[in-house]
Amino acid sequence: MLKLEIGRIHIKDIQLGNETSVKNGVLTVDTQGLIKFLREDERIKDVKLDVAKPGEKVRIIPVKDVIEPRVKISGGNNGFPGVTAKQAQCGEGRTHVLYGAAVVTVGDIVGFQEGVIDMWGEGAKWTPFSQTFNLTVDIQVADGLDPHTHEETVRIAGLRAAEFVGLVGQDMQPDEVVTYEMGSIFEETAKYPDLPKVLYAEMMITQGLLHDTYIYGVNAQTILPSLLHANEELDNAVISGNCVAACDKITTYQHQNNSAILDLYAQHGKEINFLGCIMVPEHTTLSGKMRASDYTLKLIQMLGADAVVVSEEGYGNPDSDLLIICKKCEKAGVKTVLITDECAGRDGMSQPLADTVPEAVAVVSGGNVSHVVTLPPAEKIIGNVEAIAVLAGGWEGALLEDGSLQCELNAVIGATSEIGYHNVTCRLY
Amino acid sequence: MVVSGNYAKIRKGRKSMKNIIITNNPLVAEKFEDVYWTDGSVEEILIKIRDLVYQGYELVSHPLASSLRMLFSPYRSVIISTPKQQLNFEHAQIIENSIIKYRNHTSCRKTDDQNRDDYKRIDLLLLEAAFAEQQGMWQ
Amino acid sequence: MSKEFKVLYYVNQFFGQVGGEDKAGMKPEFHKDKIGPALGFENQLKGEGKVAGTIICGDNYFNENKEESLSYILNLVKQEAPDVFVAGPAFNAGRYGVACAEICRAIAEELNIPVVTGMYKENPGLEICQHVAYVVSTSDSAGGMRKALPLMAAITSKIAQGIELGSPEEEGYIPRGMRKTIIVDKRGSLRAVEMLVKRLKGEEFATEMPMPVFDMVTPAPAIQDLSKATIALCTSGGIVPAGNPDHIQSASAQKWGKYDISQRSALNAPDYYTTHGGYDPVYANEIPDRVAPLDILKELEKEGYIGKVYEFFYTTTGTGTSVSNSVKFGTEIGAELKAAGVDGVILTST
Repeated sequence: MLKLEIGRIHIKDIQLGNETSVKNGVLTVDTQGLIKFLREDERIKDVKLDVAKPGEKVRIIPVKDVIEPRVKISGGNNGFPGVTAKQAQCGEGRTHVLYGAAVVTVGDIVGFQEGVIDMWGEGAKWTPFSQTFNLTVDIQVADGLDPHTHEETVRIAGLRAAEFVGLVGQDMQPDEVVTYEMGSIFEETAKYPDLPKVLYAEMMITQGLLHDTYIYGVNAQTILPSLLHANEELDNAVISGNCVAACDKITTYQHQNNSAILDLYAQHGKEINFLGCIMVPEHTTLSGKMRASDYTLKLIQMLGADAVVVSEEGYGNPDSDLLIICKKCEKAGVKTVLITDECAGRDGMSQPLADTVPEAVAVVSGGNVSHVVTLPPAEKIIGNVEAIAVLAGGWEGALLEDGSLQCELNAVIGATSEIGYHNVTCRLY
Repeated sequence: MVVSGNYAKIRKGRKSMKNIIITNNPLVAEKFEDVYWTDGSVEEILIKIRDLVYQGYELVSHPLASSLRMLFSPYRSVIISTPKQQLNFEHAQIIENSIIKYRNHTSCRKTDDQNRDDYKRIDLLLLEAAFAEQQGMWQ
Repeated sequence: MSKEFKVLYYVNQFFGQVGGEDKAGMKPEFHKDKIGPALGFENQLKGEGKVAGTIICGDNYFNENKEESLSYILNLVKQEAPDVFVAGPAFNAGRYGVACAEICRAIAEELNIPVVTGMYKENPGLEICQHVAYVVSTSDSAGGMRKALPLMAAITSKIAQGIELGSPEEEGYIPRGMRKTIIVDKRGSLRAVEMLVKRLKGEEFATEMPMPVFDMVTPAPAIQDLSKATIALCTSGGIVPAGNPDHIQSASAQKWGKYDISQRSALNAPDYYTTHGGYDPVYANEIPDRVAPLDILKELEKEGYIGKVYEFFYTTTGTGTSVSNSVKFGTEIGAELKAAGVDGVILTST
């Protein structure tokens, strides 16, 4: 039904320059060209570009989003359909990605955003984006924009920057090509009649400004849980409008490379028959939570799935959604595995989940959001020094004498990923 | 302060027999009717909600926000419904767990005073988004 | 090699080679010497550390004179200032285990000195100190000494030298309930898919976040006619006859008591008071009925609202009392009440 080829162009270094090119794995970005391109949006007053490479003593803060630069070679439309491009079917044809590069948008819509990426040392261990060659795009917007417009401006600028840079891959020969191909549910089930049928339910924060997710440009707050082909999200159908849950938000990059989808795909036709993804909105109201969980189970049952992997986004009220979905699925005989994170306090001695259900028998933990890490002083800060003050002001003694900063993992981008993108977890000690 | 006033309208110009907003956010108090407002802390807001739930009120929106950063907000607005005949046990559990979780995160944190205005605004916007969630619902 | 670290050791009368049950009433003593398991333990330290002394105390004495024993031991430990305090192993010996646990907890919490002990997983002492002590998992009898000591010594050495301890499985201790954040080889989504595949195949899998297990109790059917029912009174609020004749512990109770109240109309002061060490006793001691309301029950009996108040009331202290002991007390008391034909029980806590 859908066949997607991802051609990876390996990026091993990044620099700013006068034209955009990739030579021997070195990505050069046309500084003036990109700034000019972004400033086509009149709401943008100023753009600052910089690069941050693995190992450099650089701190990026506050990070808004991370996006993988790509270009569509065939099938669909280039860019993000429904957002920066006309509607098109995502998930088919060929897409080239600058593999190893990332666009990181910086810019605070509100003063309390944190979101740290440290490119070196202790901090680097806790974020997957210390391993990418980052083009940082710091956006200053025009005065007087309301918060919604401000957020949208920065969000779109990040996507467009990734598009601008990604274009360089158009005429290049990729270093490797990965193919994702899956027929209709009936075809796949005919091929693998004996394999258990598995769905992936991806919960998304959809609760209003700074807490939004978009699918083909549709604000997912307004949707009923929707079925996606596994290829669609891997091909730019889903973007993040979420700015404040640093450690456990799903950045656009992580939608484009959703590890849960990739790891389920890897077992498709071997151990499981992977049917696709249900995109589940996380609502604010309890009736919304009941509706979304009922609807998710109904889709699972209509498709006859035996099991489901459920991932969460955020912390607080979404924990309820996760466990309600789990309870309903298990009661209906659908085996669930949950991916979430936990708060066990700074010392790890607190009960990790306040909400618990006995049905949650198979849970993967992305780590303790309150775990304290000590970040040594950076040689260079990209973004807003004020945001560090917000971090340092978290509690008494957060700022140490030698300039090191103690912060909880919750401030680090992607640290406790609830789609299982990172390697952090908790063990009972 | 006590829960008082006329619950006939939930939003200015919009009729409702069902909902009350518990908040310590002055922007919300300005904009909405049927508000129980207090200048207390978020913890006091949560405890007030707990007491009301035990009196038979139901939660309309979840007591906690969906991101850690908003857990540190000094402002919080939660929608509850007017009393039912019976205690809703699930809601009692949700509010109790929310209080535990809230305390867990904020016990050793300082209040983020610098960003009070931003928190006020975002809390208001998230509340409005909650109201917009089920537009076809009779309220 | 830095200088040798210093360990202080605790054993009971039996392991302290004083004697058996007949010596269980001995007061705590301090010897500047290595006695019993302390000797084998020191050998296992391989010269990196030494045992500077052994405290010996009778199991009964400790459990019946807890405050006094603890204050003696705490003072001593404060003076001696060891790098690590070691107790036991207590295997499945209940009183010994509770003594080791109470001492370890007090030392860890009040003196902030790291503590190591060893116990069988069902020892009632475990839940008292598990969160603050490294409790090596032992067999249920002293036959496990040879296995326990090297593990206890290895943990002690690491703590004393500031070496990070490995996982409970690697080091042989019972998890303290700490959720340690670590980085592992496989990303979360891969672990989730592997867990799913195992689950689908019916193979064993391990969740990374065990849910707490709650004991669910089915409520008994309602009493049809209260006016014919015999009702008993039972409390975990520590209300005892003056003098606490059965020496019910003020915390971490090892026993319960029952007292004839058939001739009384109330549990009034000074005939009764509370021995409970977990709450401010002023109001309970003024009017013990506030905790165990015999006065009201007797009034209800007089009114004919209930048939009869059962002739004994049952009591223990709830604070710090292990779940295993609570289950045991409940089962024993329940069996007695049932045999006596009691129809209902009023249970009060504090």
